[in-house]
Amino acid sequence: MDPSSMNSPELQNLLAQEKQKAMISEMISKLTSACWDKCITGSPGSKFSSSEANCLTNCAQRYMDMSLIIMKRLQQ
Amino acid sequence: MDSFSSPSSGSSPKFSTDDIMSQLRTQLEQAYAEEFLETVRGKCFDKCITKPGSSLSGSESSCISRCVDRYIEATGIIGKALFNQR
Repeated sequence: MDPSSMNSPELQNLLAQEKQKAMISEMISKLTSACWDKCITGSPGSKFSSSEANCLTNCAQRYMDMSLIIMKRLQQ
Repeated sequence: MDSFSSPSSGSSPKFSTDDIMSQLRTQLEQAYAEEFLETVRGKCFDKCITKPGSSLSGSESSCISRCVDRYIEATGIIGKALFNQR
């Protein structure tokens, strides 16, 4: 098989993996931005307070919960 | 023009799958880095430069440093929260 062929299954597989990784990266990036806005309300300190850190964690997990609800709703 | 074609291959240079993937990953990393930089600039400008003066004050500078550190930390917290679900 021609190793430079764009149709090679190996390349397609690797591209699919990279696409998956890129989507996850994008999700983390967008969520960090949104949750930062929601949770870090004052001036940034030299470390996060436990309430700020918990808020960030909660924010990400509630977003995923919401995402499930939305998908279920749209499937009805 | 004839000097470009060789008798054995006669076609354009072939890139291996490794070459393609390597270039792709490098470009993706660069794109991520640029996006991250742009995001951090925006967030820390909002948080730290509330009333722009004729130069950056010491407190504005330290706020910016803390802000960058915190934003990197926040990225890690979000990543962990997404993949260590209950």
